[in-house]
Amino acid sequence: MQGNLGEDKSIYIQISEMIEDEILRDILREEEQVPSTTELSKFYKINPATAAKGINLLVDKDILYKKRGIGMFVREGAKKSIQETRKKGFYDNYVKAIISEAKLIGISKEELKKMIDSNLDM
Amino acid sequence: MATLSGKNIVKKYGKDTVLKNVNIDIETGKIYGLIGRNGAGKTTLLSILTAQNPATEGEITLDGQPVWENEASLSRICYSREISPVTMFGPNTLKVKDYLKLGKTFYKNWDQEYADELIKMFNLDVKKRVHKLSKGMLSAVTIILALASKAEITILDEPVAGLDVIAREQFYKLVIEEYASTGRTFIISTHIIEEAASLFEKVIMIDDGQIVIEENTDDLLARAYRVSGEDVQVDEAVSGLKVYHPESVGRNKAVTVLADSPVDNFSDSVQVEPISLQNLFYAMCVDGRKEA
Repeated sequence: MQGNLGEDKSIYIQISEMIEDEILRDILREEEQVPSTTELSKFYKINPATAAKGINLLVDKDILYKKRGIGMFVREGAKKSIQETRKKGFYDNYVKAIISEAKLIGISKEELKKMIDSNLDM
Repeated sequence: MATLSGKNIVKKYGKDTVLKNVNIDIETGKIYGLIGRNGAGKTTLLSILTAQNPATEGEITLDGQPVWENEASLSRICYSREISPVTMFGPNTLKVKDYLKLGKTFYKNWDQEYADELIKMFNLDVKKRVHKLSKGMLSAVTIILALASKAEITILDEPVAGLDVIAREQFYKLVIEEYASTGRTFIISTHIIEEAASLFEKVIMIDDGQIVIEENTDDLLARAYRVSGEDVQVDEAVSGLKVYHPESVGRNKAVTVLADSPVDNFSDSVQVEPISLQNLFYAMCVDGRKEA
């Protein structure tokens, strides 16, 4: 788990994104239990209501589900669904920022393409 | 859910009006943060809400029942003030264990086992006399009294002021643990806003004797921004919005905006960033009063 919260977004959104990141990185696996709101609130030093709000956001997105009396679990297919959603935001969140910075500092279209191409052997 | 409410509270000390017609509703089951500058009226408000100090005007009720001289209501509220090492009659020679015994007599839900646990955790020597305690230990005593009171509504006035960073973190975790397991209400006043902001479900901001904010912390920060860029464009982007603390350097200008509701259509020609509670507080209160 990452230890630091930033100021750039609401805390409950950061909590939900951190849980998503852990699912993407297989730190939290499908059908596995996620930390309780009390555990999360102690770890991040946040109000339990805020932690619950972050968890509930993922329940609404069908990433987590509740097992009555036990806690929250990662739904099967959660990783794929997070990937799909994040792909949609990739252009807005990353590509646009790269292009705008490139324009600002005068990197040409060709230079930019070359830089990306040469690093594409992922 | 119970409500501790103050209606039209005015407090005057001689010619000074310290609280100017304050209205407040504390709902149980939440952690509140109370922030304000020195002399803004925080301690006065807390002491009036807990009937330790009479209001000049106005009424305090808990579930509709007046709190003043009402033992039944007061036993549900704990106001753990900063302990003073000196009293009117000289040094405070009370022993810590005797001070904590007062908690036992006063609060019907007093938890001695929990108090003992906390005494150990904070390494507090209960045989010491109050005037011999360090600042940190004085803070520890007020925290132990507050937590072990197990009162439905627990008020801590600057509990972390004398504590080092490790003890402060311990305190925040204790509050979260207590809150998570009991749902007790906490009202915590603090100057160390940055550290504690994420703990507060609701924030009450008091400035110059008036409550200027009483709102869910997330909702408040969701409508607060720092907008910066070229002065003309910043002015245009924020026109019609409530703006605090404009700062300029050269042609560059930065302002703090508190909109009525979240704004998602700021112009692309300015930079818009979220802002922390501490910075919002700073921007809202820094230009208010001329002194200090």
